[in-house]
Amino acid sequence: MNHSSNEKEPETIEPLRYLSKSEVATVETELLRDYRFGQQQLIEIWGHACAIAITKAFPLSSLSKKQPTLLVVCGPEQNGSIGLVCARHLRMFEYEPTIFYPKRSPQSLHQDFTVQCEKMDIPFLSYLPTEVQLLNDAYNLVIDAILGPETDHKEVKEPYAGMLVTLKQVKIPIVSVDVPSGWDVDEPAKDGINPEVLISLTAPKKCATGFSGKHFLAGRFLPYDIQKKYELNLPEFPGTECVIEL
Amino acid sequence: MTAIGQLYGVDLKTCTQNSSTALCKLLFGHFSGSLKRVSEPGKQAVIPLARRDIDEELLNEYSFSVDQLMELAGLSCATAVSKGYPLQSLLKSPPRVLVICGPGNNGEDGSVCARHLKLFGYEPFVLYPKHPYKLLFQKPTIQCEKMDISFLTEMPEVDVIDEEYNLVVDAIFGFSFKGSLREPFGDILSQLKKITVPIASIDIPLGWDVENGCPDGIQPDMLISLTAPEKAANHFTGRYHFLGGRFVAPALEKFQLNLPLYPDTDCVYQLN
Repeated sequence: MNHSSNEKEPETIEPLRYLSKSEVATVETELLRDYRFGQQQLIEIWGHACAIAITKAFPLSSLSKKQPTLLVVCGPEQNGSIGLVCARHLRMFEYEPTIFYPKRSPQSLHQDFTVQCEKMDIPFLSYLPTEVQLLNDAYNLVIDAILGPETDHKEVKEPYAGMLVTLKQVKIPIVSVDVPSGWDVDEPAKDGINPEVLISLTAPKKCATGFSGKHFLAGRFLPYDIQKKYELNLPEFPGTECVIEL
Repeated sequence: MTAIGQLYGVDLKTCTQNSSTALCKLLFGHFSGSLKRVSEPGKQAVIPLARRDIDEELLNEYSFSVDQLMELAGLSCATAVSKGYPLQSLLKSPPRVLVICGPGNNGEDGSVCARHLKLFGYEPFVLYPKHPYKLLFQKPTIQCEKMDISFLTEMPEVDVIDEEYNLVVDAIFGFSFKGSLREPFGDILSQLKKITVPIASIDIPLGWDVENGCPDGIQPDMLISLTAPEKAANHFTGRYHFLGGRFVAPALEKFQLNLPLYPDTDCVYQLN
C-alpha cells in the first residue's frame, strides 16, 4: 500500500511479501546499523505488539479457565526475550502469565528483560512438566517464544527438543511468536508443532505461506524506505493499531 | 500496613514479599506520608508524587532501559494526539504537526512521538531549537531522519505556524526543569503565547513551574502526563488531559495513589 500522498496512480494491491531467513537477517541488520534502532527498543516494540495480538486472539472474556493463566515458554535468544516482554505487557493487560525460561541468555541486554518480569511478580517455573495433562489443566494457552528465525532449525538441542515434544501433545492452543519453534523459516514443517495462532513480527516469513490458523502481523514501526526497498507491501494498519489480522 | 491498606482501599495481598521492591516501598512511603484520604466512595484523588523517583526506580530496580521507556512514552504521546486530534478532523491532508523538542529527555520523547505520528499518517516537522552536536547522533533523531521526517532549522514566525500547521507539540522541558528560561526558549515561549493553533504539551508546558503552573504562560489545549501527573497539572485548564507511559502492572499501580486503570490494551487514559 503506498503511503505517499504525491502519487495519484490507481492503487493496485500488491501481494504481501513473505521473507526468507536471509532477508529477515538483512532487514534487521539495516534497522540496527543504518536506521539506528536499538536492540532493546525493537524487542520492546515486538513484545508489546505480540501481547496486543494475543488479546485480540484470546480476549480475557473468552478464556475458559477461572483464572486467565498463560504459559510463556522462552528460548535463549531474541525470540525468548520477545516472549519476556510480551509476558510483561500481558500482565499489564490483566492476564496471568507464567514464564518457563530454562536457559537464560548471558547477555545483559536480555537479562534486563528477566528482571523487569520478576519485578512485575510474574512467576518463573523451574521445570516444564512432561505430563501434558498438567499443562492442559493449569493454563488456557501456551505462548511459544522458544526459537525464532535466528535459529538453525536443524540443530535444535536439548532442552528444547524435549520441550517441543511435550508441546506437540498439549490440547490447549499454542500461539507462536514469529516462527513456530522448530520450523524452517523458509518452509512449513511437516511434523513440527502446530500452533493455532501465529504472530508474525514486522513481516511474515516464507514458512507462513498457507498457514491455516489465525495469522496476525504485529509491529508497526518499519520506516517506509525499508518497506519500499524490500517491496514488503504491508497492509494498512487501522487507526493507531500496531497489529492486523492477515 | 494492613490498616492503612484498608483505609485507602488497597489490596495488600498483591504486595508479596518478593514484590516489596524499593518501588513499592517508595510509593507506599508517599502513600502513607502525604496522601489525601479518599473520603467519598468512587472519588479518585490524583496525588502528585516524585516522578523523578519513579523513573529512577524503573531504570535501576526494574532494569528498564531508557530506550524502552522512551519508546512507550513516545507512543503514548502520539496516541493521545491522535485521540484528541483525529486525522479526519484536521483541515490539512496530511495534517502537519510542529514538534518542538528540547535538549533533554522531554525532547527525546517528542522525537519518538514524531516518529509514531508519521506512522499514524500525520506529517510531523521536528525543531530542535538548541541542537548541540551530540544530539545529531542521538538515535531518536536519526530514526526520524530516516523516516523522512523534516527537521526545521529555526522556529517559524507566529503567522506561519498558524497558516501551515494544525497543531504544535511542546516537548521542550519536563519535570526536571528548574530556574528561568534561557534563549532561545524565552523567544519561543513568547511566540507560542501568540499562536492560535492548539498546543499539546508533554508533561510540563513550556514556562510553567513544575509545581505551581503559570497563570500567564502558555495555556495548552492538551496535556500529556507521563507515568503520573505533576503538581502543575492541577492548574491545567485545557480540553484534553491524558495520562500516558503505561509501564507497571495494575497490582503495583494500586499503590500509585489511585491512578485509574488503563482500559484494555490502551497506552493512554483520558483524565478529563
